[in-house]
Amino acid sequence: MLRLTGSPTERAFSQEIIRMSGQDLLECLQCGKCTGSCPIASKTVTGPRRLIAKILAGMKEEALKDPTWWYCVSCGTCAGRCPVEINMYEVSTALCEMAEAQGVKPSEPHIHLFETLFLDSVKKGGRVRELKAVMAFNIRTMNPFKDMVPGMKLMLRGAVSPKDLMEKEKPDPAVARIFERAEERKGGHGK
Amino acid sequence: MENNREKHSITASYYPGCSLEGTARAYDLSSRAVCWELSIDLQELPKWSCCGSSPALKTDKLLSTALSAHNLNIAGAQPSDDLLIPCPFCFRRLLSAQQEMAEDPELKRSVEETVEGSPEKPVNIHSLLGFIHDRVGLDAVKEKVVRPLAGMRVVPYYGCYLVKPHKTTQYDHPEQPVSLDELLTALGADVVDWDFKTECCGAGLALSKTDTVERLCGRIVKEAKWKRADAIVVACQLCQANLEMRGEKKGNLPVLYFTQLIGLALGLSPESLGMKKHLISPMPMLKAKGFGEKRPKASRVEVGE
Ligand code: SF4
Ligand code: SF4
Repeated sequence: MLRLTGSPTERAFSQEIIRMSGQDLLECLQCGKCTGSCPIASKTVTGPRRLIAKILAGMKEEALKDPTWWYCVSCGTCAGRCPVEINMYEVSTALCEMAEAQGVKPSEPHIHLFETLFLDSVKKGGRVRELKAVMAFNIRTMNPFKDMVPGMKLMLRGAVSPKDLMEKEKPDPAVARIFERAEERKGGHGK
Repeated sequence: MENNREKHSITASYYPGCSLEGTARAYDLSSRAVCWELSIDLQELPKWSCCGSSPALKTDKLLSTALSAHNLNIAGAQPSDDLLIPCPFCFRRLLSAQQEMAEDPELKRSVEETVEGSPEKPVNIHSLLGFIHDRVGLDAVKEKVVRPLAGMRVVPYYGCYLVKPHKTTQYDHPEQPVSLDELLTALGADVVDWDFKTECCGAGLALSKTDTVERLCGRIVKEAKWKRADAIVVACQLCQANLEMRGEKKGNLPVLYFTQLIGLALGLSPESLGMKKHLISPMPMLKAKGFGEKRPKASRVEVGE
């Protein structure tokens, strides 16, 4: 089989993803149940089966640029239907970590931006300020009035408070420290 | 009343999560109100933090596990052995972190070094729905119902994180779950079976890939309408927001939390359950079904004796 041959460097990539994700991709039957169940698979986002094929074929660059793992919402549907219990969202994390470590430009900049702003907010205050993260995202993507009407409605109904937008985060030193230490260890874990 | 409540009360730690103090106040409000009525004494974890949600899970395994571990350490220092989590994502993430660390000593060591500590005791992690269904029990809930939800056609929507993957959540069934159906039936509602119980709503892509979420939620809301449902009932604030905001251009099908429906059936006022905070107001539907007004307090004194 193709996946068992190839040059050592090609194999090194699949071995590393298998190790980091804890998912035995060599077991994959390429049956396609995962992609058939995957909510985010579409014409342009080709889904988990093809992504696994790329990994096993040692197509590192293509795999690290595949939009599938950026889109993956960790719904867990594939994991439940896969005959060999491969959990794709663990693979998504492994690919994301590797892409970041190797400076691969995010192929889905909007998803990347949202995730970054979200985590910035957690780092600052220990908890995410949803409204602030949403506003920051809409401004950075030059779409400041997105969801303005429902947002105002929710505010008027007391579902969200303007305070959430205005008030500064109260720092949580314990959480800030977790971020720092995780940052320091990056590369340490997963190597 | 008060003594009776104390006698049966269960104490449990409570981890609301960021959304419940942000955009999902109705879920927090109704969860607390209903737990009070069901004699569950909720003790909010002091200084809990975000679990990192999907952004941490996607980008950084160590950070994601460490944020969960931090909260598990806080929970381990509380008197109760049970931790109740209304948000299905937080529920699955904390549970998964606990499992991952038990299986992988190396990860456990890195995480403990990152959070600088380990739990004093392991806690039992429950989703709020699971706790009410399994621990409190449907009979006990039923006993307290004073306004059965008769004539209300509801479709139960479980979403993903509560039931998938089953290996992690160990709760109900990943494709055909029934616990929410059973609970709503116990409340007297007219529960309609459908095929979309665990179809994904698109979750955290709401902002970054709005069209994907509109496509997914559109199908779900369309099916619920075709089933002539009066409301979709959810256990997740992310599902709630997506179905309400992204299901239809000008949506009119209410999307309610299961806790709000328990509260109604237990005689609480719609307002106290956050029913007036929704983007799609359930009030016209509730009034039409006779749930618009608060039931006079006096009539429920004998219930649950
Ligand atoms: S469902 Fe499992 S075995 Fe089938 S293609 Fe997907 S990962 Fe491979
Ligand atoms: S976990 Fe990710 S890859 Fe698997 S079905 Fe869900 S979105 Fe698709």
